Amino acid sequence: MTSLVHTAHDVAARALGWLHTNRDLGAFEDDAATTDLNDPEGAYKPLCELALASSLVLREGVAGTNEQRAARALVGFTWQQLREGDLLYERQLRHALLTDPLETYAHHARSGLRHEALEQTLVQCAVEDSMTELLPNRRLAVANAHRIVGIHRDDDFTAMLRQTWLGRIPQPWALDWYTAYYMTHTVFHVTDWGAKPGDLPPDVVEYLENWLPVWIDVWAEAGQWDLLGELLIVSACLPEPRCDLAEWELFASAQHADGLLPRDDRPVVDDTEQRYHDHKHTAVVATIAGTLAMSRLLGGQA
Amino acid sequence: MDASSCARDAAALADRVLGALRGSGGVGLADFLASRADPTAGLGAVRLVGADIFLPHVVLNRPLTAQDAEVVAASFEVFPQATEPVAPEQRVMAWHDWSTARLLATLTGDAAVAAPDDPAAVLGSVEKWARWSVAVAQLSSLAHPGATGPVVDAVAAQPQALCRGVLRAALRRDFVIASRLTRWVALTHAMGVRLPVNPVVLVDHVALRVGSEPRQLLDLAVARHLVGAP
Repeated sequence: MTSLVHTAHDVAARALGWLHTNRDLGAFEDDAATTDLNDPEGAYKPLCELALASSLVLREGVAGTNEQRAARALVGFTWQQLREGDLLYERQLRHALLTDPLETYAHHARSGLRHEALEQTLVQCAVEDSMTELLPNRRLAVANAHRIVGIHRDDDFTAMLRQTWLGRIPQPWALDWYTAYYMTHTVFHVTDWGAKPGDLPPDVVEYLENWLPVWIDVWAEAGQWDLLGELLIVSACLPEPRCDLAEWELFASAQHADGLLPRDDRPVVDDTEQRYHDHKHTAVVATIAGTLAMSRLLGGQA
Repeated sequence: MDASSCARDAAALADRVLGALRGSGGVGLADFLASRADPTAGLGAVRLVGADIFLPHVVLNRPLTAQDAEVVAASFEVFPQATEPVAPEQRVMAWHDWSTARLLATLTGDAAVAAPDDPAAVLGSVEKWARWSVAVAQLSSLAHPGATGPVVDAVAAQPQALCRGVLRAALRRDFVIASRLTRWVALTHAMGVRLPVNPVVLVDHVALRVGSEPRQLLDLAVARHLVGAP
């Protein structure tokens, strides 16, 4: 166990350090006011994911002092980029059906960074039930974001889970790369990223315990490090967390000396900006996976 | 005799077994052997297909002719069984041959044949389920209707590892391994073991993807029979 804690810690600390070192590469190019938010994959979504990873490092509280400081700095950076929430507020006010302002705000709210006008807008959106026409796993994302922000709704997480691929308990080979991501996110949102492992129904837990080792084996063999990291997060979200040293050592072996963790087994380019663009998501995943695994192994809240 | 002609003959023999299972008559081992350009390769094919040559007798209760029994006995004379298997492939062949010899003895009324050794020696540790399941797949001819024995007991005791193996094979698009393991899944289901996959759905999933190689089709035919699917 000690070895596994060290491995998970090292992976998370190095990935978080890499995100912190390169954070300016994820900034809006000039002024957020002129940024094209119709292209959320550009700078907007990465900021959201950066805030997510940082908020979970802060929530779990198991990282070292340097990592906690880096996480606090990163969520401060993303909040500053989002003009202390004004950008999210204006976007949500104009586009009541969009979910990304809510979801991005949730990570900041979790970290104590609040925006009153945005919250009033989000409450009104919730009353209007505007964010409804979504894929089943995305409905869970919205429900969890409302839960984090503290906006009361009558969301039935169990019923919503049963609408997802995972909740249907399909035959385990009826899974492709895209749907594997849907499956991982279903677990993330139902458990609020490992904080509520008991909210997974027993049959879903049994299903995940049966098949996670196979999915991990197959996608690790294919060098899909990003998906492997997401599956390791799922493993850490189970009521009895699966933390397998061999799987973690394999994941760690893919990490570069500077903390970059490649998304897959294709060559990593030398260009600094391109490296950040290509692999920032996997660093976020690695930070979360290592943080949650460490927390569960040490008996943390997750 | 060369390996490729032996493999070709094994495919042809498996096709005959498949036809017999579908009602075309007997396998006709003596006739099969007589039709081969190289009788030694033909006997090698009999040994490769192994206990599956008896499937029409096991499944449809067809009697085994003395001529056909002599062909199997001749195959053991030309290719003697490994008496002290050491390497993994030797252990696989030892169990494969044991299954053949055991069914031959059952059908001819001869004395029972002693099992090779502890099944753990051929299957390995179930903790290493991926490697374990590949060894199980190599022994698919032991998974026939009514099968018993140490390997059958060992496999049936590990439904999770077995189903993990078949899932791994299906996701890796390795439908040779998948069809062999599907046969074991079907046998385990027929033995009343609770499984974490639906065996009927599994058979149909693999059947759509397995291609036309007779030995895999034979695996699936056995699996279909075991799960009671048409």
